[in-house]
Amino acid sequence: MIAVRGLTKRYGTVLAVDDLTFDVEPGKVTGFLGPNGAGKSTTMRAVLGLDRPTAGTALVNGRPYAALDEPLREVGALLDPGAVHPGRTGRAHLRIAARTNGLPLRRVDEVVEQAGLGAAARRRIGGYSLGMRQRLGIAAALLGDPGVLLFDEPVNGLDLDGVRWIRGLLRRLADEGRTVLVSSHLLSEVEQTAERLVVVGRGRLVADTTTEELLRGLGGRRVRVRCVRPDLLAPALRRRGATVEEVGDAELQVQGLSAEDVGEVADSVRVPLHHLSDVQQSLEEAYLALTAGSVEFAGQDPVPTGADR
Amino acid sequence: MTATRTAGAARVPLPRLLARTCAAEWTRLWTVRTSWWFLLAAAVVLVGLGTVAGVESAGDPAQSGGDPVWAGVTVFVMPAQFALFGLALTAVTSDHATGGIVPALQWTPRRGVLLLARAGVAVATATAAGVVLVLASALAAHTAHPDLTLPVGEGLDALGTVALVVAAGAALGAGLGFLLRSTAGALVAVFLLVLVLPLVLPQFGLAWATSVAEALPGSGAAYLLFGGELPGMSRASSVTVLLAWAAGALLLGWLRLSRSDVR
Repeated sequence: MIAVRGLTKRYGTVLAVDDLTFDVEPGKVTGFLGPNGAGKSTTMRAVLGLDRPTAGTALVNGRPYAALDEPLREVGALLDPGAVHPGRTGRAHLRIAARTNGLPLRRVDEVVEQAGLGAAARRRIGGYSLGMRQRLGIAAALLGDPGVLLFDEPVNGLDLDGVRWIRGLLRRLADEGRTVLVSSHLLSEVEQTAERLVVVGRGRLVADTTTEELLRGLGGRRVRVRCVRPDLLAPALRRRGATVEEVGDAELQVQGLSAEDVGEVADSVRVPLHHLSDVQQSLEEAYLALTAGSVEFAGQDPVPTGADR
Repeated sequence: MTATRTAGAARVPLPRLLARTCAAEWTRLWTVRTSWWFLLAAAVVLVGLGTVAGVESAGDPAQSGGDPVWAGVTVFVMPAQFALFGLALTAVTSDHATGGIVPALQWTPRRGVLLLARAGVAVATATAAGVVLVLASALAAHTAHPDLTLPVGEGLDALGTVALVVAAGAALGAGLGFLLRSTAGALVAVFLLVLVLPLVLPQFGLAWATSVAEALPGSGAAYLLFGGELPGMSRASSVTVLLAWAAGALLLGWLRLSRSDVR
């Protein structure tokens, strides 16, 4: 459980985080979204006691992180995966972490295995790809088998396999009852894993809501489809209640149906598809939509946790 | 996976926390190559100069009268100490240069514990290395010229002095490392305070400049290592100067580490 209350952080004249209040609850993945420079990393650094807040508090399991004697047993975190000494081997890095928190050294082998580092753990970190560094950072975060996990942009630099692996891992960790906070600047990266979303912009809370609500607020999912007979497909889709828009030669943009639904409709009218995909909605769009005071969110308290706690 | 999870936050007694952090720092120190290079450099200087001194004295008929070896080899600490200071200093600054300070503080969020362990391990290692290498230097000189004697009482005095000088200098280096967070900056500061300024300032012939030079750690170290007589300086004043600089640098380093954000 992470509780951020009135967190404010000022670097000189820059207000990086401005009176931010939210909770991260156990048992689900919470996405921490915002454009670059919105204050996500600063908030995470404050939670981990690396940055001293100008005002407000950030507590983990009811206590400030800096007061924890064995923090790795409670909180695992991956911030900047490049922030490691390149001269050490991955194993040495993890062994040091285990020593500081009195963890058995066999945990090092376990997390090396779990993070898929394998033989690379015996090589010096300087030769790692960004993806390997991400895995090393994740291994370190898992070392103490903590109940709370923070990941700052964990899919950066990972290949497709890595991204899939991370998504599975995040979901598994949440299913085990852990508190998982994962930041990203792209909605598409977390919308499949995160049930809740905390959205920030310019250091302020923009929305604290479920992923479903946020996507609905954006006007629903959109699917793009290309086929030889859009003239047949479009009416069929409209009959299923979708809004269909022709966006190009033989290409349709469909709103209100999932890609699976569109595929089924196409099959039912026997129109072969050449292309079918979800339209990626970037957080920048969401952010603009939210801050523009879109109708969908006007009636909703954008700070549901702030008022009643 | 949940086997190792503990319920709630266990309080760890401070001595155990410190011992764990020291063990981690010890591993940190010896899992990077830089530390080994600095140790090798100190060994080459001390054992090399000890051997050269022994060979030279063996070839010099005026010096064959059973002189004790100690006074000679403690002087070699003057150049060799910089490698040991470098060892202690990079143990602190490398984490700031590489960003490794972020995971370090994630694992040991109590900054006082981290500073004590990091500075403690670095200073103890540099000091132990200094003492062992000076002993090796003396043995090398003695091997090259067996007429040079190794009186035990004098030896203990000499090794005690070496330990004090290296420990104070390593603590100064570690403290400056925590304060400046840059290897180059801290190394330059150490060279200025220990070598350059104590040599240059008295050259101006100004009374105040000479007084300033005497208050610098390099003058105290030189006084103790050369064992000579200098007007205005004593063993007590030299020891005080060395310890004051070491404590002052660590205090300033602590203020920076404890108060500022780390990135």
